[in-house]
Amino acid sequence: MPSTFLADLGAAALPSGWSALALTILVTPATAMALVTLTHKRRPAEIITFASILLVVVQTLGLVGGVLSQGHFSALDGFLYLDAFGALILIPIAGVGFVAAIYSVGYMRRQYDRGVVDDRHIVRYYQGFNAFVLTMLLVPLANNMGLMWVAIEATTLVSVFMIMLYTNQEAMEAAWKYLMVATVGLSLALLGIVLFSYANTNISPSAAASGSGMNWTSMLADAKLLDPGIVKIAYVFVLVGLGTKAGLAPMHTWLPDAHGEAPTPVSALLSGVLLNCAIYGVLRFNIIASGALGPELPSELLILLGLLSMGVAAASIYFQKDMKRMLAFSSVEHMGIVALSVGFGGLVGLFAALLHIINHAIAKPLMFFASGTVSQRYETKVMTEIKGVIKTMPFTGAVLLLGGLAIAGMPPFNIFLSEFLVMTAGFGSGQFLAGSLMILLLVVVFAGFLRHLVPMVFGSPKRPGRFIPPDAHPEGDREGILEAVPMAILVVLVVILGFYIPQPLQVLIRDAAQVLGQGATP
Amino acid sequence: MGEMRTQVPLSDLLTLSAVGLLVSTFGVVVRRSFAGWLSAYRYQSIILAGSTAVIAYETGVWEIYAAAALTLAVKAVVIPRLLVRVTGSVRDEFKIEANPFVSVRLSLLISTLLVALSYGLVRQTLASANLDVFAVTYLPVSVSLFFIGLFVMVSRRMALNQVVGLLIIENGLFLFTTALTQGVSLIIEVGILADILVGVMISALLLLRMSQTFDSFDIASLEKLKDD
Repeated sequence: MPSTFLADLGAAALPSGWSALALTILVTPATAMALVTLTHKRRPAEIITFASILLVVVQTLGLVGGVLSQGHFSALDGFLYLDAFGALILIPIAGVGFVAAIYSVGYMRRQYDRGVVDDRHIVRYYQGFNAFVLTMLLVPLANNMGLMWVAIEATTLVSVFMIMLYTNQEAMEAAWKYLMVATVGLSLALLGIVLFSYANTNISPSAAASGSGMNWTSMLADAKLLDPGIVKIAYVFVLVGLGTKAGLAPMHTWLPDAHGEAPTPVSALLSGVLLNCAIYGVLRFNIIASGALGPELPSELLILLGLLSMGVAAASIYFQKDMKRMLAFSSVEHMGIVALSVGFGGLVGLFAALLHIINHAIAKPLMFFASGTVSQRYETKVMTEIKGVIKTMPFTGAVLLLGGLAIAGMPPFNIFLSEFLVMTAGFGSGQFLAGSLMILLLVVVFAGFLRHLVPMVFGSPKRPGRFIPPDAHPEGDREGILEAVPMAILVVLVVILGFYIPQPLQVLIRDAAQVLGQGATP
Repeated sequence: MGEMRTQVPLSDLLTLSAVGLLVSTFGVVVRRSFAGWLSAYRYQSIILAGSTAVIAYETGVWEIYAAAALTLAVKAVVIPRLLVRVTGSVRDEFKIEANPFVSVRLSLLISTLLVALSYGLVRQTLASANLDVFAVTYLPVSVSLFFIGLFVMVSRRMALNQVVGLLIIENGLFLFTTALTQGVSLIIEVGILADILVGVMISALLLLRMSQTFDSFDIASLEKLKDD
């Protein structure tokens, strides 16, 4: 393994048994949540949350460094475990969490100035924000799959709580549907997880005796020996259950509502991070199922769901009226691409899937931030009523255009790179039909995005009354910089990752792809 | 497990509790009022805790005793009380399922078919596995609970009924887990229970707000968000 800066950093920071200590990453947001609750004021809550997420970023870098130098490590008696795949999922949680925390300050202050929320709401918002980060961090760190389930269910509850922060009818409707559909889906997933654990304890008396039958590492060790009959049912349950949470069609019905109605920074976290956590769970079990059943059936299922998600999303994007719902459907599309890419398999397919997770986690929050700022100023989310953003808000307009082109897969941005790799993997693995369908659907999505985006950015403001100029709220524009900074960070990443992947990231993705490919290799 | 002395009473006890679980589930299906559903759910949870205690006694695993006690405390006491308290201020007509999507008579028939389906499914899919006496008795019941809970969720209009359906599904899941794997580790059990409890609290909070904003708990009124 080539020596990299991060690996050196990791080796220095985590000499030996220290790796376990690094898992204190969970303590940070928990402490922050407690502090926000204790101080119970608006300004301290903003500062505490920012400090906490900054520390989480540093801790994540430490953990990534540790994984690069040591491969993997576990803590708390094998209860927690981190390998390259888990570390890769940690990056968007910390990264998007960081930019979302900055954006939150500006966004929530403006909501406050507009009288949409009061102090109590804002304190609750930051409590929820920290709890959300905590539960998401637990997902890739859990080795016990029961614990992972508990964490994923907890993310549902926390995010429902954050969606219903505004007590308007649409938000409540979205929160209710999300709670019901996701909880039923996750119940199915738990059935599947219990069946996996049963299959494991059935053939491994040591796992049964030590109570480690639910540990992923224990399942992986026995993957080849598991009863295929049980694993088949178990995997279908997990795929449908966690697939619901990951927004894969046809279980995606709750997603556009929830992502569309949530406060913008929360939408960014839901789309850019939480979906990754859910698809992470699916892929963990995909490794086990590929080992027990051979790679064919799990791959075919993923390709099927992936294409279906892309198809549903392409149609909905093309005919969409609501800006945030369009972005939500775009998330369905991109999760479909990830599933498809893993289905194509091979080192290229797995690498592309993981790279796409990262790229989507950069581009989607960018789009949500831009659209959130736009819809706050225009006081609508209906795209036909938003015109000429580039004239009214030059910076946000440029970001909206750039992000839109990126998310639709235009070169030379980052999403294009990973989508191109997915196609390569598809044709390389001989899946010509699926590969061609993917290209076709990408074209539809591209056309759909362009159709909505161009009038929004370049049109002439038809109804000047719709746009609330900054000076109408003299207090309101003060924090514009707090919204511009996160967008600028993400724009830079979208552009750079379009032609250059830093070496540590490349090594990490390659290692993670090897983890993902473990089941398929004999 | 078990000497000759306990063999016969055990299987009787298991069958009896399995029947009790199914009967209480049907109680939810046939009743129209929220109080009725809740009392049926409470009975179901008490029997569930009892079944868990029997499994704990036979296997001698103390963690399962703890799980049984927690089930009794959370599902038979805390959750019903919480739901009663939250819905206290809601008018009675919003707590009664006057006009379900599927009539009660038909629901009863479908639920019976679902039970039969569950027995068939478990027999077929887990035929190769050598199941113990708990799994043989309880697995089909747990799958029935799962199916009927799901059916209750989709066939009723009242949002409250969806919560009850979800709770039945969770009970089915708990039974499934305990019967198949003799319980997952206690800390996971506690985590799952905590999730359920918080989930009920959040849905209760949401129900309360919905009752203030919407005119009813009728889920048919939740139709603003769609693509057209």
